[in-house]
Amino acid sequence: MRILALALVAAAFSLGASAAPKDETPQYKTAEAKHFTTAEGVELSPAFVDYFYAELRNELTKAKLVKEVIGEGETVEDSDALHSLVISGTITEFKKGSVVKSALIGFGAGFKSLKMDADVARRSDKQNLCVIHVHTKIDPRWNEKVMAKGAAHEMVKEMKKALAEGSKTTTADASKP
Amino acid sequence: MASPSLVNRCRLFIAAFCLLLSGSSRAADEPKPNPENTISIDFGDPVPVQRFEHSPKFWIANVTDRSGNPQPLLVLKARGGIFLDKQPTAILKDTLEQSLKAANLLAADEASADLVLRVYVFHFGLASGSGLDFFGKVEFSTMVKNSRTGESTEVKSTGTSIANGAVRKKNLQKNVEDNIENALRDATRNFLRGAQLKEAVVAWSKGSEAQPAAAPASADAAKPPSR
Repeated sequence: MRILALALVAAAFSLGASAAPKDETPQYKTAEAKHFTTAEGVELSPAFVDYFYAELRNELTKAKLVKEVIGEGETVEDSDALHSLVISGTITEFKKGSVVKSALIGFGAGFKSLKMDADVARRSDKQNLCVIHVHTKIDPRWNEKVMAKGAAHEMVKEMKKALAEGSKTTTADASKP
Repeated sequence: MASPSLVNRCRLFIAAFCLLLSGSSRAADEPKPNPENTISIDFGDPVPVQRFEHSPKFWIANVTDRSGNPQPLLVLKARGGIFLDKQPTAILKDTLEQSLKAANLLAADEASADLVLRVYVFHFGLASGSGLDFFGKVEFSTMVKNSRTGESTEVKSTGTSIANGAVRKKNLQKNVEDNIENALRDATRNFLRGAQLKEAVVAWSKGSEAQPAAAPASADAAKPPSR
């Protein structure tokens, strides 16, 4: 009986292991993330843009969307250009939020808010593959670089989904209370 | 009853004592480098350089620190401090030389070099991050000078890396070391595989092609007419 139970457990484990999704080879060879520009009136420091650039590259590497994440302004072999992406974007809106509002009203009132648009283009012919809109909200007491982390994560998630589906425009809304 | 001069003297003494105490505590907070809190940046394998149609020979003339950091060896002040074993300029020079040498693009001396590099370091080490992790950043700008024409081109390079934070000092040191190594590797790659460097090399190769072509033409002009 014990042997039977052990065999059943082993069989269940082996089934689980075989059912686990295998690592798929990425569809694209390289992705170049550019520093995002800020729209007029957006009061964010260049350090924030730098940090977001680093986070975006980090998230792209983690997501295994591409084989290699290259730095801004790096060259790509001509043969790889067809399967390479260029990600550029703009931070369109940033609201500092209000600690008082957040404490008195709650329910997301007074949160810091960040809106950004990203364009994902094919390197060889500059064809736009998808446009991503991300809206991130966090507690006003939190460091704004935490918001960059959340926005980068959300952006790569949406990018992966959009590229898999082949859709042109996606919108993501993320908030961290 | 104490005289007013004695009270004033006492007050002065207490104020001086407080100042002395705060000064000594600040000095105690200042981390000092020792073998336990010093990390060595090991660059590992050299970065592959992009392919050029005509390969020039490079020479790194000098690497200058322009970060304005009074303590360039101090990477992290908290938790007893983390220090680098070498100056950032020396680390960057070694890194660039190793990669150029591996690609057989390093000249023997400045006189034999086609392109002379003058590197200015703007950031080396950790930058302010989210507080949950370490944000490593290496940023430098290089003036690529064509030794024949004297023309210079600026090439900007940035490398970033994000590593997890840590609680134990040993892990903290290891994460910071890995983070800086990755950022340095990223910046070196950004320079050696960058489009700006390619443009500088293309401009140099055009110049070197034009000169031998121009030389026979001038020789022809110098010749007296055959008639």
